[in-house]
Amino acid sequence: MSAKVGELVFLQQLAKRFKIPAPDFVVEPVSQSDIKNKLQIWGSGIVKPDVLAGKRGKAGAVHKVSDYREALQLLKKTAATEVNCLQPRTSYIVQAVPADIELFSAITYNTKFLSPSLTVSLKGGIDVESVPDSEKATIPVDVFRGLNAYQASELLSKLGLQGRLNSSVARCLVNQWDMFISTGMQSCEINPWRASKDDKIFACDFKAEFDENNFKFRDIGFELPEYPTSEEAFDEEMRTWSASSHQGQAHVSSLGGKKILPLLFGGGASTIITETLAQCGGDPMFLSDFGGNPPYERMKKTAEICFRHKLGGASLLLILGGKANNTQIDITFAAIADALEEWVGRNGPLHIPVVIGRGGPGLVQGFAAMKKTLENLHLPHVIFGPDTPITLVAAYAARLAACAGLELRED
Amino acid sequence: MRAKSLDDILKKGDRIAVSNITGREASKVSVLSQRYCGNIVAGWALGKAGQTIQVPGADPIPVFGQFEDLMAAFKDGKKPNKIIVYSPPEAVYGDVKEVLEHGTGSIETIFVITEHVSVEVTAKLRALALEADVDIIGCNTLGAINAHAHVRAGAVGGDAPEETFKAGSVCILSNSGNMVNTIADYLKCAGLGVSHGISTGKDRLILTPLKDLLLLALEDSRTRIIVLYVEPGGAYEQEALELLRAHAVVKPVIAYVSGQFAEGRAVSLGHAGAVVEGAGTSASAKMRLFDDYFQTPVYDPAQPKELMELLGKSRRGIRVNTLHDIVPAATAIVEACGMETDFSPLQEIALRPWFVSLGALERKLPRDMILHPVPVPEPYASLVERYVKSGLGRVTARQSMRNTSHASSNDGSTPRIYGYSVMNLMKKGSFAEAVLLYWLGQPPGRDFEVQLFEMVLIASLTNGPGTISAQAPKLSASAGNPPNAAMIATLAAIGHVHGGNGRDAALMLIETFAKSGLVDPYDKANAPDLDRLAQAFVKSFKEKKNLAKEAGVDYAKVPCLGHPVFNAEPVNFDPRERVIAAYMEEHGIYNVFLDYYHRLTRTLAESGATNKVHAVNVDAVLACVLMGMAWPLLVEKRITVERAADLPFLAFALGRSAGGAGEYLDHRESGTDMDMRIPVSECRYLGRVQD
Repeated sequence: MSAKVGELVFLQQLAKRFKIPAPDFVVEPVSQSDIKNKLQIWGSGIVKPDVLAGKRGKAGAVHKVSDYREALQLLKKTAATEVNCLQPRTSYIVQAVPADIELFSAITYNTKFLSPSLTVSLKGGIDVESVPDSEKATIPVDVFRGLNAYQASELLSKLGLQGRLNSSVARCLVNQWDMFISTGMQSCEINPWRASKDDKIFACDFKAEFDENNFKFRDIGFELPEYPTSEEAFDEEMRTWSASSHQGQAHVSSLGGKKILPLLFGGGASTIITETLAQCGGDPMFLSDFGGNPPYERMKKTAEICFRHKLGGASLLLILGGKANNTQIDITFAAIADALEEWVGRNGPLHIPVVIGRGGPGLVQGFAAMKKTLENLHLPHVIFGPDTPITLVAAYAARLAACAGLELRED
Repeated sequence: MRAKSLDDILKKGDRIAVSNITGREASKVSVLSQRYCGNIVAGWALGKAGQTIQVPGADPIPVFGQFEDLMAAFKDGKKPNKIIVYSPPEAVYGDVKEVLEHGTGSIETIFVITEHVSVEVTAKLRALALEADVDIIGCNTLGAINAHAHVRAGAVGGDAPEETFKAGSVCILSNSGNMVNTIADYLKCAGLGVSHGISTGKDRLILTPLKDLLLLALEDSRTRIIVLYVEPGGAYEQEALELLRAHAVVKPVIAYVSGQFAEGRAVSLGHAGAVVEGAGTSASAKMRLFDDYFQTPVYDPAQPKELMELLGKSRRGIRVNTLHDIVPAATAIVEACGMETDFSPLQEIALRPWFVSLGALERKLPRDMILHPVPVPEPYASLVERYVKSGLGRVTARQSMRNTSHASSNDGSTPRIYGYSVMNLMKKGSFAEAVLLYWLGQPPGRDFEVQLFEMVLIASLTNGPGTISAQAPKLSASAGNPPNAAMIATLAAIGHVHGGNGRDAALMLIETFAKSGLVDPYDKANAPDLDRLAQAFVKSFKEKKNLAKEAGVDYAKVPCLGHPVFNAEPVNFDPRERVIAAYMEEHGIYNVFLDYYHRLTRTLAESGATNKVHAVNVDAVLACVLMGMAWPLLVEKRITVERAADLPFLAFALGRSAGGAGEYLDHRESGTDMDMRIPVSECRYLGRVQD
């Protein structure tokens, strides 16, 4: 679970607090006189959208301006223009700073070192993956002791940065580490740092992800801005519902499918079932994971939200998971069955097949509760026990959805 | 890594301590593990010192308040050497630190089951464990199993690990805990069992990375094949494949890489670490890495011959596209590499539906899509008989009901009974109707049911002051107690043989009619053959009675037949039952259960099982009236059998406690204190004076 932030949050909330030099900026809406004054001081500025999309420059959303009239127009236009299908929250203009050199720095948790790591390159301003290995370097950082200026300086020297600039950048990298570890980030990238030979350094673009499981993030000291979302109402409601409790999973991601409504259980199982559905033309509506032994109320509300948003348009309801370790099948199935009955009570009869596959504690009691409901609602159904592989069940469900979709439309 | 072999991770003789053991999941899993392999020596949980977790059929698990106390309680050589952490995410760091501080020299491996541990804490755990030379599996692992040693740590195998894990030659290393079980299940279809199964966890940092575990699997003498379940994210597979290329020992690997469908979409997979971080960490990139290593294209069931040649040549293994292809792929590897299976394949991999009801849809399906149910295997088959096929009554899900009720609610302004406003019920003005709503979960289905209920309540009020349930409130009043004590006394003086016999009657009726096809108990025309049912019952009753008499033991009487007062005639009636029967006759109401009861008492007399036609007593009428209301709800599975069986007893208790209140009022008004006392002179001693 992570929360992303971009450059504007860095400029407004983090740069000063962690003594990271950053260019001056103003945020739209801005008055004509303010922007005129700023541009007189700066010489020129760069208009950018505040959006959580990468590669804003390549998308044509970043503009250098020196005329205040043009700046005003661009600020309004940029704030209203989607970048990579994402609507910006607002736009802002930052001071254009001169540079003799551009650097890249990133701190993240590294799966090779199994610790934090610092990556630096003197080829900043471009996608770091396109920089050859010989021109970038990564070192592990001790999670307890943190990054010290000596380590950072040595890394910069190794890449060829010497002199006063080396020690100035090293200090900035230490401050970046302080920000990273003090706010519970799980990755943090400044690209580029723009530095001039007269020892002036500015962090000129920024992106980071906070670890929502880290208590430091929960006490970060400011509210994260709310970005316009392109997610469906279903995803939004489920995200809120999922975050409301740690009791059982309530994790969904829309896939845009039109056929199968899948209520799936288990992190691994949900992935391979969805993979199989997609491979076999099952066109799943979303990826879901409702494992983790949810109590009755949690599971019922989860199912209720899924049914309210998706059941009316589904060709097949699939309830599938592997052999559960802890999840009580009787409780989860009773909750789903009750939610299904209530949906039919509110919306009228349903005519889609239901395919079920599961194993685990309370299995037969769960099947009994589900079977009773399906019979009461006259829903065609097939129920598999744990002796049928879940991927075979998924493949069968995909074929059944195709048949049911056609036949039910004829009916 | 500290472990030098897979057995070092988990073996027979390991002694496990469990953190936060009194938690919901930890206690449940620990009990199951203790029953499976008995390797949990203790647990700890703050503020729970001195408690014990009872394990039916196995040693109980002592609970300590802190890990330090736990370690102090065991002698050297008996101290735990493995830890399972079930602590909440925010407590994991502190608990692991405590383990490392106080477990030095003893603790070898820590399994961190907890999910949602922050990546910073995970990195800190790694640093601490490295320094202490302790292995950490996780976080978010399900644990591990050593099938040859019949031991597990954590919840691998769920509640029946012996069912899934047969000892064999495959080591399963999986990012998903559930997939360890699922793959082990699949492999049985290829005649392969498991040497070790390890859930690595799939948080962002996997603290025991794949390369370390693979090295142990390559050097494990029992392991001949390695199966990997891999998700996107992390560089673990790149490192692992470098190791495989460099290692002298070659063992075939079967790899399944999941998550390709999510590429190019803003979709996060179920596990926290399944996040693509850069080149080489996506599902597609990992698939390419494995295919390059295997030098064999992905498994294709249609090309077995060419595949066998390639497999036999490289002996490195193969990737599968679908998880169930692990079975034929494993079979192909066994054959191509000249191995033998661990046992005969247990069953073919196939669709095995337990229940099929496709109705009209079935006629429109292609032939190969029409499925037929297969026999349900044990241990499920007997449960299916009990829960699914018994046909009567609802099966409910159990849950904590501390602050929860289906029966009543109050939204701050309106108290409700099963969703019905108490104020509206008050306006209708029938206490009996409201009680039936409370007891049945819905309003009574027929108008006359309320009247019948009123009548049985009145009948239950009293049978005179001599009954023990009338004596009890009088005793209480005589002692100077307040009214509630008298009510309690009344209720305490009814029981199985006085008032409570209606419960037995209800259960008898449910058993008798369960398979009779009865749907509407008020429909005389479609009633089952009651004489046949009565004869069958009497035959069975006589057999049991004779056997009991031969054995010289007491036998179970037919519930609610006969009465101590109304028993002098060859054919007897309880006058209260007669009033209700007359009302029903007058209003054209038929009750199949009452009809059955009368036929039963006659059949008993005719067959010689009894010497007279006993009265169908008021408890029987209670049972018949309430079963009349409950039966349609049992058929529709709206209420449980237990609820239906309790209704007659509750009705009697309700009526009689009102009667007891009447006795109390009278006695308090007119009696004297202690007047119920029996003088010493009237009391008899039946024993021998000892001094």
